[in-house]
Amino acid sequence: MGCRGCGAAIAVRQAMEALGSRTIIVIPASCMATIGGSGLKTAWRIPFYHSLFECAPAVASGIRAALEVQEIKKINVVSWAGDAGTADIGFQSLTGAAERNEDIIHVCYDNESYMNTGGQAGGTTPFRAWTSDTPSGKPTRHKDMLAIMAAHKPAYLATASIAYPEDFITKLNRAKEIKGFRYIHVLAPCHRGWGIKEEETVEMARLAVECGLWELYEIRAGERRVTVIPERKIPVKEYLLRQQRFRTLSEEDLAFFQAEAGALNG
Amino acid sequence: MALAKNLPVVPSAPSGTMALKPVVGIWRERYPQIIQGRCNACGECLYFCPEGALKLKGTEKGKELEINMDFCKGCGICAHECRQQALRMVDEYTGPQGLLG
Amino acid sequence: MRQLLNGNEAAAMAARLARVEVLASYPITPAAPAMEQIVRFIAEGKLKAKFIRVESDHSALAAAVGAALAGARPLVITNSQGLAYMSEVLYHASGLRLPIVMAVVNRGLAAPHTRFPDHGDAIAQEASGWVQLFCENNQEVLDTLIQAYRLAEDERVRLPVMVHYESYIQSHTREVVEVPSEEAIDRFLPLYRRPALDVDNPQAVNVVTGPDLYMDYKHQQDKALQGSREVLREIDLAYAGLTGRAWGGTLGVYRLDGAEYIFVTMGSLASTCREAVDMLREGGLPVGLLKIRSFRPFPREEVRSLLRDARAAIVLDKNIVYGSGGALAREVRASLYGLARGPFVYSYIAGLGGRDVTSEDAVRIYKMVEEKVKANLEPLPYEWYGIE
Repeated sequence: MGCRGCGAAIAVRQAMEALGSRTIIVIPASCMATIGGSGLKTAWRIPFYHSLFECAPAVASGIRAALEVQEIKKINVVSWAGDAGTADIGFQSLTGAAERNEDIIHVCYDNESYMNTGGQAGGTTPFRAWTSDTPSGKPTRHKDMLAIMAAHKPAYLATASIAYPEDFITKLNRAKEIKGFRYIHVLAPCHRGWGIKEEETVEMARLAVECGLWELYEIRAGERRVTVIPERKIPVKEYLLRQQRFRTLSEEDLAFFQAEAGALNG
Repeated sequence: MALAKNLPVVPSAPSGTMALKPVVGIWRERYPQIIQGRCNACGECLYFCPEGALKLKGTEKGKELEINMDFCKGCGICAHECRQQALRMVDEYTGPQGLLG
Repeated sequence: MRQLLNGNEAAAMAARLARVEVLASYPITPAAPAMEQIVRFIAEGKLKAKFIRVESDHSALAAAVGAALAGARPLVITNSQGLAYMSEVLYHASGLRLPIVMAVVNRGLAAPHTRFPDHGDAIAQEASGWVQLFCENNQEVLDTLIQAYRLAEDERVRLPVMVHYESYIQSHTREVVEVPSEEAIDRFLPLYRRPALDVDNPQAVNVVTGPDLYMDYKHQQDKALQGSREVLREIDLAYAGLTGRAWGGTLGVYRLDGAEYIFVTMGSLASTCREAVDMLREGGLPVGLLKIRSFRPFPREEVRSLLRDARAAIVLDKNIVYGSGGALAREVRASLYGLARGPFVYSYIAGLGGRDVTSEDAVRIYKMVEEKVKANLEPLPYEWYGIE
């Protein structure tokens, strides 16, 4: 029930390939919480709970405790949140669950704005992006969630992109076998929020990686490892300027982003 | 008008009940047409369909791509991503097999 | 076995006897010692449970919701600011019909900041759909917390329950408490499993709901809460069979025989009024006490039948609904609505933020009411006791 070309739906379908039926998923307020169905119908085939906005990782902690006390084993407990439910309103419960090393997988599907409420800016919204409440472009840079979560020293941490499904699925398969708090952050564009055509959703998730602004890596036992080196390297403007949300970028802004992405031949 | 409502105690929906016709396929304005001879059944497009509408079916000739039109919304990602350019988006109303074709 | 326990210790003991499985609680004054005692029980192997050291009160109830959805027996302990903070989650717990029990160590809400007791935190959540039971003393705390699980988990109810007792007056004051045996409580409270999140029977919980269904769910929920009165009475009687102690189900009565003036109150004030009743009766005055145990659901029928022939009901509210009055007085008046000749209901706001209300105060209030009744003065909507 998502929009045509919904990146979030793609992310969930890819993830389910890895997670399988012995999975309980908690999704806080977000597009993903609602597009599964309404009334008395659902497309979900695993136990699903649409939780309150700020507390999916806390709910997941409770689910895990209940399973442990009943000695029910080999179940993936996943809190699947958007960028708000991860980086902003959801951050408190996320950092608490990480600190307690809860045996859950938190997946952030990131479309870099609050799409379910109409596309407002959030913590992961990039610098200078147009959103419905930053019409002159977001004046601040995005919150580096990967650095923040890496500082918690989780049992597993990884980035992913829906344009690289095998990488995403491999990472989830790896995460499944690890106990403790696991964090995966998958880039899942929203064509409406980004101002691209609906068929360009996956392409944009690839260009983000190819221009260096979205690196695909994982951190396991303190070791950081790049998992995908893209087939080609492109300048950031080939990614950014394809999106209406970046239409007001100046040359200075582009230089800022290019510096973020590293030199073209670095 | 009172409906006999047999609501569950816990507000919930039974698993997998979305598969009822007519479903989201009615949102389509264009649909993907498979170009004969180009598809090599690599399966990449299956990863990219937001609706899970693509399947590889085993036949005597090998694997074949099948599109579930009940769920295909016509977003065009599969056609856009296909490395073999084996899919082409065609107008829902005026294309071949279209509603007005 | 008789032990000297304060309210927090009684609650912790009840949690252990009830074989709570998941404790999700955030420290808050003065409820934290109850949580800590349970954590010690777990560490000492006296209770097989998981403690989730949540990072906020909101997450405490959220975790309890998750635990209940996945089939375990959870407990949350909180009050005041914590209860207000997690209030959003209260509606998930009741709307999803989860058998969560929460011990609330009633404390006044800021601002201004206080750590002393009143029922404001509880009353602020009267519409949350939770059963709300008020305890008069530490024995009742222990008994009620155990009964609360059986009530919450009953097939006919399936609603979360708050068990209220007051900060410091009860939480930190030791009284003699008869602690029932583990065997007795195991018989009273069988193990219960009804997971909504089950990989062998998957469903989507809390799916988006439209106007065609939402109101029906709410109706179903209200019916369950209304019906829980009867179940509470049953449970209280069953508990009495095991322990010899009954609490009257939804309410308790004291010396109502021939009573023309009846105190109506909840919580520790009931204890205070019992003493006042005894003092006044010694002087030959026809005074009694109606102690409300179950504020939600409110026992309207019983209150109506017990008060209808009195001259006056003296309601002491340890809460204030600003611009409206005391919540208990409002319920009492609603229970008496339509009687051709019913008692006058005098409403007093007393004891907010821990201001002391002694049995002498209760006697003084009686005297004020007696004068007004004799002068045929109709009651004001409400009055503040102890304010000059």
